[in-house]
Amino acid sequence: MDPFKGQGGIQMLLIAEQEAQHIVSNARNLRTQRLKQAKDEVEREAAQYRSHMEDEYQKLISENTGSSGSNVKRLEEETDAKIKNLKKSTSKISSEVVDMLLKYVTNIKT
Amino acid sequence: MKDADVSRQIQQMIRFIRQEAEEKANEISVAAEEEFNIEKLQLLEAEKRKIRQEYERKAKQIDVRRKIEYSTQLNAARIKVLQAQDDAMGSMKDAAKKGLLRVSNDKKVYKKLLKDMIVQGLLRLREPSVLLRCRESDRKLVESLIEEAKKEYSEKASMQSPKISLDDRVYLPPPPKNGAVDSHEPYCSGGVVLASEDGKIVLENTLDARLDVIFRQKLPEACKEAPVRLNNITAI
Repeated sequence: MDPFKGQGGIQMLLIAEQEAQHIVSNARNLRTQRLKQAKDEVEREAAQYRSHMEDEYQKLISENTGSSGSNVKRLEEETDAKIKNLKKSTSKISSEVVDMLLKYVTNIKT
Repeated sequence: MKDADVSRQIQQMIRFIRQEAEEKANEISVAAEEEFNIEKLQLLEAEKRKIRQEYERKAKQIDVRRKIEYSTQLNAARIKVLQAQDDAMGSMKDAAKKGLLRVSNDKKVYKKLLKDMIVQGLLRLREPSVLLRCRESDRKLVESLIEEAKKEYSEKASMQSPKISLDDRVYLPPPPKNGAVDSHEPYCSGGVVLASEDGKIVLENTLDARLDVIFRQKLPEACKEAPVRLNNITAI
């Protein structure tokens, strides 16, 4: 066997083997990159989703603030109306009630 | 042809090595894509769930906060109404207290009232010996009424005339100054306090005490009554 030819052949095989390793290695790297890409895409889409939820949330806050405001206003109006009615009816019967109280106080059964 | 054979074999081996590598790479690539999709879906779903739960919690907090706020305001509103009711009752009572002053300032009316209150007290106590306490300003009036009261008591109760001792060391508080029924100084609008000799039984028959009792007992009834029916209410 020609020493030159044998050496060259082995060399070629080694080179081929290295290239093969590179090919596989590249594929593995791409796989790793792809997985990282998955994470990145998830982060991006999650951020979009969060943004959407935040918008919904802010909308909810606005609605609640609005409805709270109207609830408070209605409650105040109802309360004021009750108190107004109370004062009206009290002033109507006040003198009669006072007279009645005095009548009882001064009606002493013996 | 031996060299040619060797050369051909080497080339074949090289092709085989490359082919194996490419198949392997392809396999990895396909698996990678699959993993990518699965990973992405799983991660995204987990992340979305986390975000959704977070916002559900926040929304729930809004609801709770809103309910607490409304409940607080509702409570404040109720207290406000109750306070208004209390104020109204207070006004009526103050008006009645001022009325008591007019009563005790009417000498003729007050004289009869005082005697009746003494007699009523005696009838309630039914004690042979009684201690009587009055306002200092009423002392002379009371002294002038005691014999008449004793006599009336004897007639009504068919009992022996009781002994009545007028307390000349301790008196009931004086009338309210300048008609200030809302002052914090103790005052007495009129009437007497009677006690058994041993002091164990005390009957407070003052105008103020009577008003307090009647106020608590009768006012709720009165407020429910129609005004026209007030005249039909029988006296206590």
